[in-house]
Amino acid sequence: MTMKKTPPYPDISDILARKTEGRRELARRSFGEKIAAMETLRERLAPLKRAREERQARKAPGKS
Amino acid sequence: MGMKQTLDVINAMEADGAIGRYAIAGAVAAYNYVAPTVTEDLDILVSFENLAGTSRSGLITLAPVLAWLKRKGYEEFRKEGVVIAGWAVQFLPVADDLDAEALASAEQVDIRMGGDTVTTRVLRPEHLVAVALRVGRTKDFVRIAQFIEEKAVDIAALCAVLDRHKLRPPWSAFCVRTGIVDPCSLDQ
Repeated sequence: MTMKKTPPYPDISDILARKTEGRRELARRSFGEKIAAMETLRERLAPLKRAREERQARKAPGKS
Repeated sequence: MGMKQTLDVINAMEADGAIGRYAIAGAVAAYNYVAPTVTEDLDILVSFENLAGTSRSGLITLAPVLAWLKRKGYEEFRKEGVVIAGWAVQFLPVADDLDAEALASAEQVDIRMGGDTVTTRVLRPEHLVAVALRVGRTKDFVRIAQFIEEKAVDIAALCAVLDRHKLRPPWSAFCVRTGIVDPCSLDQ
């Protein structure tokens, strides 16, 4: 008798496959397109970066 | 503001003789070959050989570069870089034979951004991997793994670079740490 192999729960293989394909698609873009995409992403991430820097500044030695 | 303007300024520096031959290195150079990751810096590998004002002692100073940029109005610093059109640019002088070889064999590329094109040079993937291995931070190892997984590097050329610059021991250690079968040992 053989055990039926069940996928691990929850099965996220389709999500991982889509992520991998997304990375491949990104890698296939031209140099200029990648730079433009990263510049846009940097702008979108800027508020998060500022918030992190402010948190770190509050934690810095000498600050209470 | 953006990379096009940043590279225009760096090209003007080269044309003016403020810097020698240069090429994009680091994370932005990797964009030319693999999926991009967000970075704050633009690393520029640069030669100061045969430039007027270069110290005869062999010591390299960035003072003339910074003076040139200041004259053009670029004097804000972010981390270790000078901010040029929104990018923190780090000028990395050629420090050893690996850098010199990487810069000499950098490829010229025309980057199209929007409706404009800018010409620049980018380090080849084998040199990006070798330099990342030499620097050896965790994020450098992640980038090396990315080049290998995305088959973005010519393995024979990479192994030759590693051999020429005596980087086989750290390369073998990297392969062991990451569980990658050492591609350089397969062709022996």
